[in-house]
Amino acid sequence: MPSGALRCFFGGIRHMWKYAAKRIVYMFVVFFIIVLMCFVLIRMLPLPTLPPSDPHTAVVMMRREAMGLNKPMMVQFGIFLKNVITKFDWGLSENLYFGQECWSIFRQKLPATIIVNLYSIILSIPIGILLGIFAALKKNTWIDYSLSTLTMVVISVPSFVYAFVIQYILCYKLQWFPFVMKSGNDWFSLAMFKSMIPAVLALSFGVIAGFTRTTRAELVEVLGSEFMLLARTKGLTKAQATMRHALRNCFVVIVPSIIGEFIGIIGGSLIIERIFSIPGIGALTLNSINGLDYNIFMLSTCFYTIIGLAANLVVDISYGFIDPRIRMGAKK
Amino acid sequence: MVRRSKLSRVLPAALAAAMLVSACSANTENKETTAGTGDNTQTTADSNNPGGETKSGDDKPEPVVPEGHYTYYDRVVTLSSNWNPHTYKTVDEAYPQDYTRSALYKMVFNDASHPIAGREDYSAYVIIPEMATGEPVDVTAQVKKDHPEYNIPESAESGYAWEVTLRDDLCFDNGHKITPDTYIESLKRLLDPKLLNYRASDAYDGTYAIANAKEYALAGVANFKSFDDAGTDYEAYIADGHTDDEVFVDLDGFWGVSAANGKKYAAITDDTMVRDPAVKEGDPEAYVSAKYLWDNYLAPGQVYEAYASTYTGIESVDYEAGYDFANVGLFKSGDNKLTYVFRNSLDGFYLKIYAMDSFWLIDPEEYDKYLKEMKTASGSVWSSTYDTNAATAVSYGPYKVSDYQLDKSMHFVRNDSWFGYKDGNHTYVDPVDGETYNMFMTDEIDTQVITETATAKNMFLSGQLMTYGLQSEDFSEYKNSEFLKTAPGQTVFFFIFNGYKSVIEEREAAADFDKKTTDLESMTLTSFRKAVAVTFDKQLMCDTLFPSNVPGYGLLGTTNIYDPETCAYYRDTDVAKLALCDFYSVDVSKFASLDDAVDSITGYDPEAAKKFFNDAFKEALEAGFITDENGDGVSDQTVTITYSVSSETDRTNKLVEYLNEKFNDVTKGTGFEGKVKIVKSAPLGNDWSDKFREGTVDFAFAGWNGSAMDPFGTTDVYVNPDMAYDGNWFDATKVPMTLTLNGEEITMSLYQWSDCLNGKTVSVDGKEYNFGYGVADAETRLQILAGFEKAILATYDYIPMLTDGEMFLLSQKAFYVVDEYNPVMSFGGIDYLKYNYSDEEWDAYVKEQGGTLKY
Repeated sequence: MPSGALRCFFGGIRHMWKYAAKRIVYMFVVFFIIVLMCFVLIRMLPLPTLPPSDPHTAVVMMRREAMGLNKPMMVQFGIFLKNVITKFDWGLSENLYFGQECWSIFRQKLPATIIVNLYSIILSIPIGILLGIFAALKKNTWIDYSLSTLTMVVISVPSFVYAFVIQYILCYKLQWFPFVMKSGNDWFSLAMFKSMIPAVLALSFGVIAGFTRTTRAELVEVLGSEFMLLARTKGLTKAQATMRHALRNCFVVIVPSIIGEFIGIIGGSLIIERIFSIPGIGALTLNSINGLDYNIFMLSTCFYTIIGLAANLVVDISYGFIDPRIRMGAKK
Repeated sequence: MVRRSKLSRVLPAALAAAMLVSACSANTENKETTAGTGDNTQTTADSNNPGGETKSGDDKPEPVVPEGHYTYYDRVVTLSSNWNPHTYKTVDEAYPQDYTRSALYKMVFNDASHPIAGREDYSAYVIIPEMATGEPVDVTAQVKKDHPEYNIPESAESGYAWEVTLRDDLCFDNGHKITPDTYIESLKRLLDPKLLNYRASDAYDGTYAIANAKEYALAGVANFKSFDDAGTDYEAYIADGHTDDEVFVDLDGFWGVSAANGKKYAAITDDTMVRDPAVKEGDPEAYVSAKYLWDNYLAPGQVYEAYASTYTGIESVDYEAGYDFANVGLFKSGDNKLTYVFRNSLDGFYLKIYAMDSFWLIDPEEYDKYLKEMKTASGSVWSSTYDTNAATAVSYGPYKVSDYQLDKSMHFVRNDSWFGYKDGNHTYVDPVDGETYNMFMTDEIDTQVITETATAKNMFLSGQLMTYGLQSEDFSEYKNSEFLKTAPGQTVFFFIFNGYKSVIEEREAAADFDKKTTDLESMTLTSFRKAVAVTFDKQLMCDTLFPSNVPGYGLLGTTNIYDPETCAYYRDTDVAKLALCDFYSVDVSKFASLDDAVDSITGYDPEAAKKFFNDAFKEALEAGFITDENGDGVSDQTVTITYSVSSETDRTNKLVEYLNEKFNDVTKGTGFEGKVKIVKSAPLGNDWSDKFREGTVDFAFAGWNGSAMDPFGTTDVYVNPDMAYDGNWFDATKVPMTLTLNGEEITMSLYQWSDCLNGKTVSVDGKEYNFGYGVADAETRLQILAGFEKAILATYDYIPMLTDGEMFLLSQKAFYVVDEYNPVMSFGGIDYLKYNYSDEEWDAYVKEQGGTLKY
């Protein structure tokens, strides 16, 4: 490699690291601000009314006192941060799991959600992109029309409908899979994987359809670009031109949506969790809102915030790899 | 039901060979015992000589020992996350306790090994010692003499102090022994003032309170004391030199809210606003403070000044801090002997089953390990993880928790340390084959959270769940299934019509009311209600609209037990049967037996209904409620009855449609032909009953859920104006009832009868009567209850229509020893569940059926 190009490459890497470091610092600042905002907003909410004759009322009041709820808001936030940073103590559940540690509850529920969604992403993204590419390459043929129609239908139907249909056909009628997710913590066992498949499928249909549509739309646009014509006139085959040039351009749009889907799935699989009896954090978060269990809600919010910020960072950094024209952190 | 018994018969000699070593010590070394080996079910003990010494070859027949492994697959919607006996809150949370705890005394079905003279096997229950070795011994006189600290009344000679002897082979699943000290330490922790346990009040309050338990639990706790109780009033208290800061409002009692600091009261100077959950956000008084309530309601000159001495008062410490637990009414009184001292006199069923339940037993050693302190500015607050997961779970019942996953599943296996597997008491005689079996044939219980009913149904049909509760849409398909089990409920639902005449008149006088076409007053006529009472075929109505319910004919259904000592059902008694026959005008002399007479009651007689509607038409015409200007013999007005509905549901709509259809049928040819109409109110939410009581709506389809074993207590809801649906137009203090009891003719109001039936002393003509539990004999009380039922039915304010119930399908894999539901024992639960198939056989059977079973 010529020394100039090498210098340029390493320069790019250096810029990238600087950029990433800066973004990580920013990420924590933003995280801190969001947490502060959430904390203040949550603490501004009226605390759940405690029934006067309930023996737990006195206990809850004392716990609230221990958490500093009778102190000024910033002091409360200080206590919260101190507990989280020094002891990783997110407080105790007040309503849903009376007196149990929020982190302990959250920790028990996190793996199921992460793993099911990870499988769903792993399954749906390649299939979605491949179908999108196929539809784009077969633009305006019956294949394209069929895929586009099917995509619209699948996107329009909520995932819980697939869940019931999948459960009825695959689990009940064909008896290929268990009705609900297997119990236990053997997350990567074959039996666990098999029991997760119906839920993974139910989560994946919509995602596959979404990626098919996005990829097709982007690719169709790029395939019609002048630079693609140039690439072909330079002698590249259609496949070579598509792979080397068209797809890379498409990915600038597709990659961020992969991350978006991941966050979306993690946060929004409540119904699927119910149907397939997945002890995940989707239901926990919603229950914490309905049950006015603010400590659990705060922990969930922080979790989603950090995942969202980290995902954005990954997306931004990925641009540099996907499209060399985008130089992260470079002055020019 | 098809009962394919696949149990093998094993020779007694084999049983003797299989006898096991002492449970406690063995299990200490072998905590991870796999369930279902069957070994621990193969030893027997002399039930007359319990106490841990196991032997075989006594007079009792050896139980038949099943081969194979049996798993019960259960489903819950909400999984318990805390079954700590000191802190659990809900029934869902208590779920594991059914499997993991035992009691001093246990109820079992009466059978050949636990017979009751004169009762058919499996028609009642027997109380047997479980963790105790025999009956409790009344030691009241001795304890009164030796322990004045318990304040046993001077006049009391029995019922306050009871001594039990514990078995000597009791232990937890971890091997720790259970002794009298374990009980004492458990109670001490339950009541510990610093732990503030949720269940503490169960031991220190109410009928079954342990002596001095409250003094210990609430030691040093400041509480509200009304001026009435303190023997003073506001003016006098202030005149004594106290300030308003020392005067408090009973926020809980007066307004149903708690103070911002969680207490039930606050100073009248405290202006901290607290939310009143009963008021909608944004509405006036959604937030109130103690100062506001004082200034606007209770202060001198305000509207509730008269109640000021009840709802305002002082803060006082009722029980001094540092109260010694040694004074609490539970002590060790000998080798393996434990004495309970109660605040009230108790005996029999209630003593053994409720008061000596000892739900609070824990393993103190483990318990202390899982306590966690959280410091506060004013002290400490404690939390515990005891009995919240598999690692912290402790069992002293037939099963123990082997696996637990939060909000997902729970798995139980046999607790090999449990004494009951070898004490010889936990057996029953099968009513079909006459053989003796051990209870708890189930080896493992697998409980899953299945939220969706559709999923549960499919799992059941695939053989993966043991029961499936029928939904309304399933009834047509499964109503004739041989696997269908029916569990009748205790709530009788009535048709109740508006009788609040002054309000009805006001409504009819309103400007927008069209008196020419609409009438509300006719529904207040007894003849009209009599007509309604026989208009509907109750059985048809159940079949059509409420398939899991059965027709209801009286104030009480078929499941109420009037004498818990003998499991005697109220509805089975002659007086109760006669009450029904009288009300439905059945001439008993025309039938071969009283039972035949009762069986003839259907509550449906369209011809009589027509007659009553014609009577009502004439009466209404004479009273000017309706007109018949064209002289066609039909009312000009439609009796429009507004049904008080809480929410708009498909079931409500169908009911209204059904009622109107039947009214139209029955009124044909009468003066109300096509002139009786039910219309729905706007959805009233929780206000539906208040609106009905206020007379602004006209019809309620409602009932009361009474205690299965205290039908006498339910009389209050028919006479107490604060509770009765007809409280605004029915005055029970003015309705006399005469009964002849033990040769004495007694007349008093229904209100008084209810009071004295529930333990209050009522004075009539200078003579005092009390027919409460333990005061009057069961037969006398029964007679009063039947008279009361007849009198209330005769008002036609409550027209019985149906009794609730539930139905479920039981898997072909298993069956209950009994087919008939018992309100106390249900179908016997896991104790009496027998299996047609072992797990292995079941899998093969389901496969053979193509994976989907037919029910």
